[in-house]
Amino acid sequence: MNFDLTKEQSMIQQTAREFAEKSVAPLVEQIEASHQIPLELFKEAADLGLLAIPLPEEYGGSDAGYDGYVLALEQIGRFSASLSMAIMAHVLGLSMINTFANDEQKQMSLPPGCRGEHITSFAFTEPGTGSDPKQLTSTARREGDYYILNGTKRFITNAAYPGYMGVVFKEAESGKLTTFLIDKKAEGYSTSEPLEKIAMNGGQLLDLYFNDCKVPAANMIGQVGEGFYHLQAGIGYGKLGISAFCLGLAQAGFDAGMEYATQKMHRGTPIGVKFQAIQLMIAEMYEKLEAARLVLYKAATNANKNSRNNPAVFARDCAAAKDIVSHTAREIVGICMDIHSSYGLMKDYKVERLYREAVMMPQIESPSHIQKIIVANSILADYK
Amino acid sequence: MDIVVAMKQVPDLQQLRIRNREPVMADVPLTFGKIDKNALEAAVLLKEEHGGEVVVVAAGSEELEDTIKEAMAAGGDRSIMLADDKAGDLDSAESAEILAQLIKQVDDCGLIIFGEGSGDNYSGQVGSRVAEKLDLPQVGSVTQIIIDGEKLRLTRSLEDSVEIVEVMMPAVVIVTADLNEPRIPSVSQVLKAGRKPKEIISLDELEQPAAEKTLTTLSNLAPEVNRKRITIKSVEELVEILKTEGFVGGN
Repeated sequence: MNFDLTKEQSMIQQTAREFAEKSVAPLVEQIEASHQIPLELFKEAADLGLLAIPLPEEYGGSDAGYDGYVLALEQIGRFSASLSMAIMAHVLGLSMINTFANDEQKQMSLPPGCRGEHITSFAFTEPGTGSDPKQLTSTARREGDYYILNGTKRFITNAAYPGYMGVVFKEAESGKLTTFLIDKKAEGYSTSEPLEKIAMNGGQLLDLYFNDCKVPAANMIGQVGEGFYHLQAGIGYGKLGISAFCLGLAQAGFDAGMEYATQKMHRGTPIGVKFQAIQLMIAEMYEKLEAARLVLYKAATNANKNSRNNPAVFARDCAAAKDIVSHTAREIVGICMDIHSSYGLMKDYKVERLYREAVMMPQIESPSHIQKIIVANSILADYK
Repeated sequence: MDIVVAMKQVPDLQQLRIRNREPVMADVPLTFGKIDKNALEAAVLLKEEHGGEVVVVAAGSEELEDTIKEAMAAGGDRSIMLADDKAGDLDSAESAEILAQLIKQVDDCGLIIFGEGSGDNYSGQVGSRVAEKLDLPQVGSVTQIIIDGEKLRLTRSLEDSVEIVEVMMPAVVIVTADLNEPRIPSVSQVLKAGRKPKEIISLDELEQPAAEKTLTTLSNLAPEVNRKRITIKSVEELVEILKTEGFVGGN
């Protein structure tokens, strides 16, 4: 077993870290206050290859694998959960298209996405269902060489930025789940205003409305009835990305906790040195962070082969990683808040924002019990 | 015309911890010093304007073969290095002798750029020593480099003045950190870095043996920090103390 990063992996990590420190950190307050990520920031990230790390070079990606992607997004997650969420949804969309779309569809959507001119999305959730495909109500009805799309999608990231998105509908004739590649400028496509959240308001979530939206039948990804596989793989990529920036959030919580524990004085001695209660919290943060990092790095490394060759194992690994790392982020940031005590509630302290962000993590991209059901079903399949 | 940049592999100071005033070196990764990165950026900008290749020369332990990828990702075209575990702790005289020999291998070398001091011991000697060994003119404290035909026009930022000088190429130019902001390498450049041409030699393969070590470091301790532990009861008292200490009220 070798737990050391390669030089290339360290350098990708460093590239993301420098970008986050120099270009993202100064904009964090502006992003949260304006509920908007400047498009120039996406362009800068794209120029550094950070918007398409696992995508193939032939479409403009960096071809640095999901391990490289996770290492980079962790660094950005230390500074901005909002930007990380947007990048996560973008890479989810690009990865799903790259895995399942035909070459013509890839040529149309991947290069502008890799260049940061388009910000990609993926949509499944509806007002009536988040995880149960059988309850999907939005429909795709064939009319000659076109499909007519109707319905509402909920909690969709990046929905108002220019570019393509993969959207899962119920194909009207067969009743089967089917995915379409949709230009977000298409007639009949509209969005709500960004939904107000407890935190991460720069990472916009919107409702989408399809009102007789007409798309060419050639925009269907794969075949009628394959939408569930696209969903399964897509959210696997999404969970990997969320886990990566949760790990960055956890690291930010650890760093803020350590800073306070070593600088806050009690009768001339830092509280982290003086009080065993604080020392126990420091140890707990460290142990949780180490365990989460190992689980995620392993899942990311295995994703390079399993996302295509072994989708069930990929889905299990990503669900387990997301469940573990998102809870770890919430726990570590909670400990960080305890170290700060009432000062942590003040907006002057970074932990105030981290705490609101960390509360969201176990809930997004399916909650904990759904992740556990995916893990359990994968394990039980081996016992049949 | 090629541009040579001499770089030194040093411990990543951002990850260095101080314990009992001594640096803890265990598990600290190696990287290039900040001013060396400024020197490289200057070379890459000149190459983008005038053409040629940026050749990175360096000497250090065998980990240099990995560290050099940082320079290749940031715009270097090829490297010539002495990577040998016996060369992990060179003094200025040894470094200068080795680097001079490596630079001689570059056929069309018009400009050799050094940072004004390395990230670790900052002796600031190696550039000047190399210029002497290669019998080349040298200009230090440089904050701007302009190539003008066969000449270089160099801006030197001195304590109380800015001096502009001209020098014929080839020349050794020693730059400061104010020169530029080094670029962040893209992920693609990172992945291509390891595939760029490199020549690696060991100490035994040098034409002349490296100079004898002339300097021995006896200790390397962080400065002692003594807090004054003054209790202040009013703003007036604080202002008075700051004035006494010379932090406010001066002209």
